[in-house]
Amino acid sequence: MPVNIHIHATHRQFTNGLEVVAVEGTTVGECLNQLIKQFPGMEKALFVKKDKLLNTVEVYVNHASAYPNELAKPVKDGDEIHLIIMLAGG
Amino acid sequence: MLTPSERERYDRQIMIGEIGQEGQEKLKRSRVVIAGTGGLGSPIAIYLAAAGIGMIRLIDHDQVAMSNLNRQILHWEEDIGRKKVDSARTKLKNLNPAMEIEAITETITEGNVSKLVDGCDVIVDAMDNLPSRYILNRCAIEKNIPFFHGAVNGFEGRVMTIIPGKTACLRCMYRGPVPQEKFPVIGVAPAVIGSIQATEVIKYLIGIGKLLTNRLLIYDGLKITFSEFKVNRNPNCDHCGSSSTQFLSPGGKRGG
Repeated sequence: MPVNIHIHATHRQFTNGLEVVAVEGTTVGECLNQLIKQFPGMEKALFVKKDKLLNTVEVYVNHASAYPNELAKPVKDGDEIHLIIMLAGG
Repeated sequence: MLTPSERERYDRQIMIGEIGQEGQEKLKRSRVVIAGTGGLGSPIAIYLAAAGIGMIRLIDHDQVAMSNLNRQILHWEEDIGRKKVDSARTKLKNLNPAMEIEAITETITEGNVSKLVDGCDVIVDAMDNLPSRYILNRCAIEKNIPFFHGAVNGFEGRVMTIIPGKTACLRCMYRGPVPQEKFPVIGVAPAVIGSIQATEVIKYLIGIGKLLTNRLLIYDGLKITFSEFKVNRNPNCDHCGSSSTQFLSPGGKRGG
């Protein structure tokens, strides 16, 4: 059973419109690398440089914040990763 | 004590078991700061004024522009060029003349924020940028005043309630500065988010229900879904963490 990554609405342009992408991995970082292998456009949507997420990206595993050290957070089959974008508007 | 006129005005909400006359009197005694009178500030101020909050202090440095009118429902075409807080005060006074409204045209800064929120029971975040939100967040923690966060973009929005010294704050998941950009938004998004913030304020002031603390609520208007995410207080948070020197209890002693 894979790990499911839920893609933010503004990122679905990079995933052919997919809302959920199934990947394999034992950490959030491994899963995101798998995501980028499938959909290279996600790299600039998530990372400012290798292993450094954009400050606007929030990662939740099974609906709980993965902050801090999000990329090292362990995951297992069946887990759900949500990639959420911080909002600033009012 | 409520006057006969107030009992009539608030009859339908006094009928709510959790509110009652006692809850209505608490709202009447309450003082609320709304930081921003734009997309979020409009529904927040309208619903809090309608609900019978005793005093609302509006803070906004801006003037009404045509491009505000798709979402900032306190402001009308005739108000273009007028100070937003004056435009807002006129509408709110027409809605509820008995309430007290303070209208302050200032930019919120580290230097003036403490004075701007002084004497109020809660601070409501209706800002349009993150740096101002962090200024309010830090001040709320320093002065031990509950802080009601909301933000929007497009059809999406998020809400979280912060009780200083007890729950995760806006800064607990801070990852660094974010570039300020003009954001897309349609009025129905801040309408939903602002209404939830106002609901939280009313609940807090009366002391009822379960607050959105340590829970980030995310609303997706395109799908009409609400998702809830658990957030934790960060002991290393530079605003509310145990290593922070910022948090003082009202008595001036260091708090949890």
